[in-house]
Amino acid sequence: MRTASQEIIDVEIDEAESDLGPVRDVAIEKVQRPKTENQKPQLIYQLLPCLFILVTLLGGMRLGAADNAFIFLKPALICLVFASVLMILFFRSSLLKMDGWFSDRFSTLQNIANTAVLLTMFTASTQLFNSLLPEKGLPFWIVGFCFFWTLWNNLFADFDTKKLLRSLGALFGLAFAVKYLVLANLTATGDTSLLQRIFDNPAKEAFTWLLDLPRYSAGTGYIQFFAVAIYLIALFLTPSTTKK
Amino acid sequence: MKEKYIHILGIAIVALGLGFVVFLYWSQPKTLAEVATKSQVVLGTYEINRDEFTRGLALFRSEDFIGARAAFDRADPEKRDANTQFYTAYSYYRQGWGRLSKDDTLFKPGLEAVDRVMILDPNFRSTDETLTMKTPSELKYELEEGLKLTPDDFNPMKLTRERK
Repeated sequence: MRTASQEIIDVEIDEAESDLGPVRDVAIEKVQRPKTENQKPQLIYQLLPCLFILVTLLGGMRLGAADNAFIFLKPALICLVFASVLMILFFRSSLLKMDGWFSDRFSTLQNIANTAVLLTMFTASTQLFNSLLPEKGLPFWIVGFCFFWTLWNNLFADFDTKKLLRSLGALFGLAFAVKYLVLANLTATGDTSLLQRIFDNPAKEAFTWLLDLPRYSAGTGYIQFFAVAIYLIALFLTPSTTKK
Repeated sequence: MKEKYIHILGIAIVALGLGFVVFLYWSQPKTLAEVATKSQVVLGTYEINRDEFTRGLALFRSEDFIGARAAFDRADPEKRDANTQFYTAYSYYRQGWGRLSKDDTLFKPGLEAVDRVMILDPNFRSTDETLTMKTPSELKYELEEGLKLTPDDFNPMKLTRERK
């Protein structure tokens, strides 16, 4: 058991040691500085690519309505166009600074590593549009046009990083709600016969037929929710420059 | 870790990760088990399930062709083993063969299976002594003849033919 007097002595010793503050602070700084400096490169070159690759994987993934089998949908050409516009927006809003990611002062290896990280960002953006755009029919064209309209307007607007991230969060959130809450609820699912489905829910069957909506398992919405969330987190973690 | 190694590790992560994603979107596996078997095919370590193949062979010899084909499918899910595919094609032939008529619905998938054998191993020759036809070309000829309707089909002497 420690007595009260022993604790007082300990406190006094601590205070006496604190007189050596500057010397110790330097020592601590010397120990800690490499650790904090190392965290940024590890975030940029290890964590960010992993997150973006995960979004690339999940973005085109759907689960079949009948047997929950994996379906991997390749992105439409328009997704690549949208992703390219989005990359331009990232640079315009200073979310990414060109001279902070590519510079002749960096080593070749660092420039290649930076290109690789930005490549994963591009593929993740492509797959995110693949995830949020309805697969076919009238909804594909309507939502696609909305995306195009918003991105085109943003391209000429004055943006800072925060505003862009907020705008993208709102855009992707709305697109997710339209596809996986509104349209998914209009889609008739189940592996019963067509006649049975018409009798059970004629409105849903009519919307599915009219809007040409594909039938997926409910699990698809959960997967895409995480894809959108991971993408936004990764964007938030992305530094504008890789300079020290 | 030295920054140079962090960069190299980053490039490796991107190359492997994107490679894996491209592989998944190209091979279109339907389950996690299929991811494993398709990966084996790409890595060149794919092997058929010997136990299932033996079971399929036993069922094939006892004339349970549907059961045999199911076992062969389990043994060779990627349809990359010439021997297993030859037995699959042979099971379609034997099940679809009839003295008076041949079952086209069985002969057609049989023809597809024998075509797979010819692609996988053009010089394939079965070592099974119990089979009358040893090569895919012989089997293919029989399957194609079974699918055709010719005046020769009405020859009453054909009733004396035996299944191979």
